[in-house]
Amino acid sequence: MTEREILLKKISTYKFAIIDIQLFLDTHPDDKSMLNKLNEYKKTVTPLVREYETKFGPLKKSDENNNTWLWVKNPWPWDTEDEK
Amino acid sequence: MFVYEKQLQYPVKIKITNPALAKLIISQYGGPDGELGASLRYLSQRFSMPLPELKATLTDIGTEELGHLEMIGAIVYQLTKDLNEKQIKEAGFDQYFVDHTAGIYPSSAAGVPFTAAYIESKGDPITDLHEDLAAEQKARTTYDNIIRFCDDPDVLDPIRFLREREVVHYQRFGENLRLLTDKLDSKNFYAFNPSFDKACFKKARNRKL
Repeated sequence: MTEREILLKKISTYKFAIIDIQLFLDTHPDDKSMLNKLNEYKKTVTPLVREYETKFGPLKKSDENNNTWLWVKNPWPWDTEDEK
Repeated sequence: MFVYEKQLQYPVKIKITNPALAKLIISQYGGPDGELGASLRYLSQRFSMPLPELKATLTDIGTEELGHLEMIGAIVYQLTKDLNEKQIKEAGFDQYFVDHTAGIYPSSAAGVPFTAAYIESKGDPITDLHEDLAAEQKARTTYDNIIRFCDDPDVLDPIRFLREREVVHYQRFGENLRLLTDKLDSKNFYAFNPSFDKACFKKARNRKL
């Protein structure tokens, strides 16, 4: 795996945990311990996303672009290698 | 509204071309129990749900299914992207290829195009939730059947992830049904439509709908 893929896998692992907890909370909205867990994972993933976006380009379109529109940059999620 | 994240929910990185397997897996893209139907079913049914927990669950599962649709598209794309003509013929992929080349088209394994007839939106939350529970099990069985024909660990890994999500969604829909029936007059479960006949909610716990 490339450095990009390793970092992205880490991010998607935390983001998946967040999605799964959020879905659990839809039917258990008052579960304090899961709410705490959710906030903990959100805090952990934020610096990882920042690191990824600085190195490899945006994951969401809301990010700042100065000289060039980085959103178009390869690879897209279904690409298998870091194509130019 | 929806915002795209430039990332799969679970990574897909397939090294070995396998059009025969792609031909089966495309069914989870646009087949009768596939991810396109799943997302449209839940994102359509949610409008008439009578409780906030149900609206939230259908919105979130429907959204997650769109992520699964993208994963299946990525799997089929990667299984077919370096095809040569010999592989196309040997794998029986020629029937798909002649209409779509190596493009991703929502159809079943047998080539039947996607149709909204695969889903229902009945405007009755008890009916709709039962359909959703069944839909998750049907998708789970389809993934089990795909796994029978699949020996590439790079494909098995994301397919197993998707199979597991069907089980979790089934659990959440079960909780939805329980949340709903707990708020109904038990004499009236099937005599009323809780989205249409609002009087069927227990008086003591009648919430603003």
